[in-house]
Amino acid sequence: MNAPLPHPSAPDEMVDGHGHVRPHWRRVLAAFSDLPQDYAGRGIGEAVRRLDRAFEDEGVVSLLPGAARPGRAWRCDPVPLPLPAREFAALAEGLAQRARLLERLLLDFYGPQSLLAEGLVPPALVFANPAFLRPCRAADRPPAGPLLTTYAADLLRAADGGWRVLADRTSRAAGIGHAQENRRILARVVPGLFRGQQVRPLRPFFDRWQDALQRLSPRGPGNAALALLTPGVHHPLWFEHVLLAGELSCALVEPGDLTARNGALFLKTLRGLQPVDVLLRRMDGRQLDPLEFGGHGGVPGLMDAARNGAVRIVNAPGCGMVEAPALAALLPELCRRLLGEALLLPSVETHWLASPGTLEMVLRAPGEWLLRPAFDGGAPAQHPALMPEAAREALLRRLAERPQDWAATRDMPPSVAPCADGERLSPRPVILRLFLAQDGAEWQAMPGGLARVPGGPGELTGRLPQDGLAKDVWVLAEEGAEILGPAALPRQPLPIRRAAGELPSRVADNMFWLGRHVERLEGAARLMRAALARLERDPLLPREFAELAALSAALRHAGLVPAEETPGGAASAALQAALWRSLREGGAVGRQMAEIARLVGAVRDRLTGDIHTLFTLPLRAVQVQAAAQHRGAQGLEEALAGVLRYCAGVAGAAAENMVRAGGHAFLDLGRRVERAQSIAAQLRFALDQPASRVEGGLRLALELCDSVITYRSRYLGVLQPAPALDLVLADPGNPRGLAFQLRAIGRLLADIGGGPEQDLLPQAEALLAAVEEMPLAVQAAHDPALAAVQLAPRLAALEGEVAALSDHVSRRYFALLPPAQSLGQEMAKEPSVLFWGAA
Amino acid sequence: MTLWRIRHATTYRYAEPVDMASHMLHLSPRPLPHQRVRWEKMACAPEPARVSSSVDHFGNRVTWLFLDRPHARFEVVAEAEIEVAFPAPPPADQTPPWEQVAAEAARDAAVAEFTFPSPLLPEHAGARDYAAQSFTPGRPVLAALLELNGRIRRDFTFRAGVTGIATPVGQVLAQRMGVCQDFTHLMLCGLRGLGLPARYVSGYIRTLPPPGGVVHLGADQSHAWVGAWLGAQAGWVDLDPTNDLVVRDEHVVLGWGRDFQDISPLRGIILGGGRHSLNVAVDLIPA
Repeated sequence: MNAPLPHPSAPDEMVDGHGHVRPHWRRVLAAFSDLPQDYAGRGIGEAVRRLDRAFEDEGVVSLLPGAARPGRAWRCDPVPLPLPAREFAALAEGLAQRARLLERLLLDFYGPQSLLAEGLVPPALVFANPAFLRPCRAADRPPAGPLLTTYAADLLRAADGGWRVLADRTSRAAGIGHAQENRRILARVVPGLFRGQQVRPLRPFFDRWQDALQRLSPRGPGNAALALLTPGVHHPLWFEHVLLAGELSCALVEPGDLTARNGALFLKTLRGLQPVDVLLRRMDGRQLDPLEFGGHGGVPGLMDAARNGAVRIVNAPGCGMVEAPALAALLPELCRRLLGEALLLPSVETHWLASPGTLEMVLRAPGEWLLRPAFDGGAPAQHPALMPEAAREALLRRLAERPQDWAATRDMPPSVAPCADGERLSPRPVILRLFLAQDGAEWQAMPGGLARVPGGPGELTGRLPQDGLAKDVWVLAEEGAEILGPAALPRQPLPIRRAAGELPSRVADNMFWLGRHVERLEGAARLMRAALARLERDPLLPREFAELAALSAALRHAGLVPAEETPGGAASAALQAALWRSLREGGAVGRQMAEIARLVGAVRDRLTGDIHTLFTLPLRAVQVQAAAQHRGAQGLEEALAGVLRYCAGVAGAAAENMVRAGGHAFLDLGRRVERAQSIAAQLRFALDQPASRVEGGLRLALELCDSVITYRSRYLGVLQPAPALDLVLADPGNPRGLAFQLRAIGRLLADIGGGPEQDLLPQAEALLAAVEEMPLAVQAAHDPALAAVQLAPRLAALEGEVAALSDHVSRRYFALLPPAQSLGQEMAKEPSVLFWGAA
Repeated sequence: MTLWRIRHATTYRYAEPVDMASHMLHLSPRPLPHQRVRWEKMACAPEPARVSSSVDHFGNRVTWLFLDRPHARFEVVAEAEIEVAFPAPPPADQTPPWEQVAAEAARDAAVAEFTFPSPLLPEHAGARDYAAQSFTPGRPVLAALLELNGRIRRDFTFRAGVTGIATPVGQVLAQRMGVCQDFTHLMLCGLRGLGLPARYVSGYIRTLPPPGGVVHLGADQSHAWVGAWLGAQAGWVDLDPTNDLVVRDEHVVLGWGRDFQDISPLRGIILGGGRHSLNVAVDLIPA
């Protein structure tokens, strides 16, 4: 464990000043002594291991994009942090007051700014604050409140036993979904802990919050469409966005899924544009709208839609400005002036160094302070006490030069709480994050929270880190206390929907391409295996030589080996080496596997934990196998077998476990399109022979379509063009044949429904008719062998037609928009382009 | 009092059709105590699907347009008739010492905003030092401002095409040339470095000189200059460093902000369009 050792003067959560265990900890400890010791007496250690595994299999870790990064994810300690009912009630009241105060400040800063005019707030706190978003203020009308409807605060316990606020979180209140996930998994993995405890459940809070979000809808709460806006799968807290979207029944959307039109906000779905009424943003306000805040991401026109009242953004962009550490020093006075109340829950002693006398005070004893940028509550603090002499001197010089850029917070050791440490419990410092939501009438605190053990002094303040050790926070119910249920809000019954209509276009697009790439991977492996089988025979028969030539052509066509690799004899070693290169990272197949991993990550929120495991773990194993040092035909064969097993596993899991409509339909559509294309391509190369060698071509065609056994059982040993081609082209029952794919494509297009597929269906049907006609023509031909080899160019054309169908599917369903570009920000290149004040 | 007729036409031509576009415009002249907007109109082609307007944080009028039909050309023509008569500033030697103005500004919420660095104008020691040469201890603020205004006109060459919208002040200082936006940015940066409030004013200057006069630099295009603060009593005065002028009756104000970005006349986000070309024509003629 790399957690810092507790400070000797740090207060202890569990033990009081006399060495006695506090009453509310007794039951928690008792539960631990009751844990089953059936793993050689290792109760606590076993709980830790099971929790870690659960988080990996179904929790936070499994939601991380790409290859799982062990040790780079949040873990959950089995020992919760209990809070007595009375203590929590006081915290909730204090935080609710702070939230009300901060809302009042925001309404003034984004409205009349009378606090500045009256001199209660120095102008720098607003105007030099980069989180003050000028486009969110209109000089001619007050802001449409409420601005702040979710709020979180980081707290630590002072030596006097009272809690202090270390940081206010008004932009996004990150960590709330994470807290819920800790509770869910802890309760499932170590249920014994909860036995006999009066722990308040979290679910009612989420129900109320969801109701509150519904009520914020400009269209009224009845059928408000909620969406949670995430920057995407690469955001460090993406896992939380997935969890929270599920918890609150929000659509999980990325900026590219949204479009602002005519002063309203819409989600691009397969069934067209669906309005979004409430947008729970998990992005910085400055990234929301490139038209008004600059930058490249975001949704152009979103602020226009918000000003228009068509969509409510939660929290309103610009709320982050009151996270400024420099503001903390003013809160007691502002609370008295604005609310007429004393501040119930004070901040850790914090000063803005622009205030008279404060710089001198800090410079006299710099080791007693944490230094934070004055306006950025998300930046980590500097600890002069822990810095080397030279770095400290440099920091203090910067402080003296520009004191207005800095705030100083008293360096106060957090309290310690017991954490699992092998088979024992050891005290570790803890910081508590609590969450509140405005329910339309008052602020509700979530009866729980996210406690975390800071990984180092830099993690005391600042943004939520990407990893660390978290603890579940238990708010204990008072004996006999009533536990509130969800607010009763009449909601209109949802219409029953069965088709894929509500699927965001981006998700359908990713599913489609996931299907295509998995199938392409499988096709590549089959082709490579067929070539490899021949390379191993030495010397080659003339027939095999021709087959290898056809296979090489197919391999080159598929981009699996470079054009200069030639088949046969002395070059077989070269071909084998080329296959290896293709399989490795950066090679054609290696890139294929990387793309699959990326797409699986991108659709992670649409896959259950089990399916996700099936889609990722075997792939990683194959990647490892391909990267292995040993070479040779044997190793290659094993790696290809691994690839084929992976592809079969994905197909099976998808077929058995995914709901037919929606994502699965597009996954399957992608697979069928890709397979149809690759069958057409491979048959074309197999048949590209002189008529006298047609038999070899047919044999290869059957092999590539995995149809050798079927053919033999039907026709025994006699190989003839028409029956062989019927099996691989037209037989509706052969899942490796072309007709089968085209039929499936037609059926899937009809299933997806929604209207726009009407002219895609005839396209698919025309292709099917053309394919069914091919073996009939060969059979009827005077010279079937010649007719068979003459199909090669027609199959090449067919490959192109399937590709065209795929393009049409993309254009129809995925609403690919051209890239956005910004005007009026470009560099002037010539005098005629000089404009806008560039004289 | 002078009566002006403004016509400001902006035309974008796109190599490929633009599917959708959102634009934000600061093209409506701001009504002021000494600037009256008699009439104004704005015409767009194609017709936008949505037009909305508001008053921004700085008090400027802002318009948003949304176009949802494919178009290969986008044109905005803003026209207005304006009366202007900005009063003469007080005698320079009667204005307060510049240090006193800076101290006053730090406490005055209404002007303090314009003393801080802004996105395009971070602190720059070179710009501060350049300005400081005119701000000798105890010098009346307007005397120093007028000298700085003239020094920029003399020290820098007006040349289009050597700078862009976001050219840093340091580069302008080094190459000693640029256009009105660059000179304005330089002066703003220098004044703020001294703690003096200074704002970026966007607008127009008369296109053709009166008979026998000289053609102003920066005519035919959008123009920009500096609003400087003389203390609570005298308030703001506008200075045009490109032409070494005090703004009286040959300029029309569109609005102001901290730098160009706050008040750019027209910006937009378009979907599609490929390469584009832009043509801007401005006429400010006596009505």
